[in-house]
Amino acid sequence: MSDVAVLGLGMHPWGKFPDKDLNSICRVAVEAALADADIRWNEVGAVAAASSRFSGGKGWGLNGNDIVEDMGSTGIPVYNLSAGCAAGANAFNVGHMMVASGAHDIVLVVGGEKMPKGFIQTSGLDDETDPEYLRQRCVGLPGPGFWALLTRQRMEEYGTSHEDLAAVAVKAHTVGTHNENARFRQLFSLEDVLNSNMVSDPLRLYEICPVSDGAAAVVLCSAEYARKKTTKPIWAASSAVATARFDDGLPRGLGCVPSPGRTHHSEARISVAKALDAAGVGPKDLDFVELQDNTVYYELAFPEEWGMCEPGESESLLHAGETLPSGRMPINPSGGFLCFGEATTAQGLFQICEVGWQLRGEAGERQVPGARIGMAQSIGLGGNGTAAVLKR
Amino acid sequence: MADAIPAAANLFVETAEGPRLLGSRCATCQAPYFPRSAACHNPDCDHSDTQPAHFGPRGTLWSVTVQSYPPPPPVVASDPYRPYAVGLVDLEADGIRVIGRLLVEDPDTVTPGGPVELVLAPLGQDAEGREVVSWQFKPC
Repeated sequence: MSDVAVLGLGMHPWGKFPDKDLNSICRVAVEAALADADIRWNEVGAVAAASSRFSGGKGWGLNGNDIVEDMGSTGIPVYNLSAGCAAGANAFNVGHMMVASGAHDIVLVVGGEKMPKGFIQTSGLDDETDPEYLRQRCVGLPGPGFWALLTRQRMEEYGTSHEDLAAVAVKAHTVGTHNENARFRQLFSLEDVLNSNMVSDPLRLYEICPVSDGAAAVVLCSAEYARKKTTKPIWAASSAVATARFDDGLPRGLGCVPSPGRTHHSEARISVAKALDAAGVGPKDLDFVELQDNTVYYELAFPEEWGMCEPGESESLLHAGETLPSGRMPINPSGGFLCFGEATTAQGLFQICEVGWQLRGEAGERQVPGARIGMAQSIGLGGNGTAAVLKR
Repeated sequence: MADAIPAAANLFVETAEGPRLLGSRCATCQAPYFPRSAACHNPDCDHSDTQPAHFGPRGTLWSVTVQSYPPPPPVVASDPYRPYAVGLVDLEADGIRVIGRLLVEDPDTVTPGGPVELVLAPLGQDAEGREVVSWQFKPC
């Protein structure tokens, strides 16, 4: 296996763009990544793309084929990867393997999505064989309600308060305000968050991420090629994918077997552990992490589940400012999903872009000082989990 | 009285002892399933042998949320909309944690940790005016 460099990063800002089609949004991200890598489109040896559920892809999730046709068909192989909200990072994993194996010298990884208006139904199915459908029909619990149940349980176990939850959102916007690619850049006070509408108690509107349009692209290349282009390459030290374990106690459908320990996303824990191990670092060696904060709960729970801090410690670290870029355990210096909104299948790659920019020292006012090792993490429907560790 | 229909088929039943959830259990590893599962999904189980099982009625509320806004279909709710509580309930005797709407007057007063029992009750009415019945949990 050879080393893999992250040579080019490109993004179309997140927002709502009713007048733009998906191809034009993706093209902005792809052209920016190619320019950043200083390569031409016809040098790309293969494409790994996130399959979108909501837009493009000829209705078959063939979003990588859309990209190739739009950029100019060169006959290269295209891999369209579907993993729910983890699709972008899943495509990154396949791109990583293609370069690491020596199959291709240069691979473009891309994800773009235009989201429908309003709340999305998690599942694409509408029948009684689908547990997600049954949960909606027989109980009436949409996605935010699932997060709310986990959040409420944390409040019982650790005494997490409404103010603690709101403080996560305040912190997200404190850093996201400096990110020109973020959609929600306004600053919020604790009162603003606490006064926002209750969605699924205890979670309020500003404590969950809405949906957005956006696209991100990454150029991966071999170490040999990277050294021709730059003296300061960013390395994809590892990329891992996992699926959930049978016995993690997370109620994904109507019922589950309670786990003896804490209930958790095993797909996240396993992929993070694999990525850290493959990169040869421990959870406390990370200079920062971009994690999937669909809601404030995850910014509190995930670092504990992965061993970045002790169980129940997240709130005190948050209030001490340790999760800010200047702190000991910076989380989501990009502003995270709370400031971007979720363009579901593109999210894993906006994270890679942020981690790369941070490691290059190009993150401006949200820069983590001296960042050398960063991690990106995502999860998606079906129990999909991904993590990647980047180093400079 | 309005006609009543189940929210979905094959999920619950009224027995002589009261309402029960229609689940299954693997005779080899004892793993419980709701809804019923044709196969055992336990990767450490040597032989899938799922048999029909009834779950409930007593449990403990593990966590709770209140659905403050009306979700889109296929959710069924009262009209005009009234927020309702949803809980995760540990049915300790059955070794399974299940989700269900909570049958309570004031959803904001429910806290985790208390005992609940299984009931069958309407969620609201469908477009044809029929009562849509599902399993729910009632504090007891």
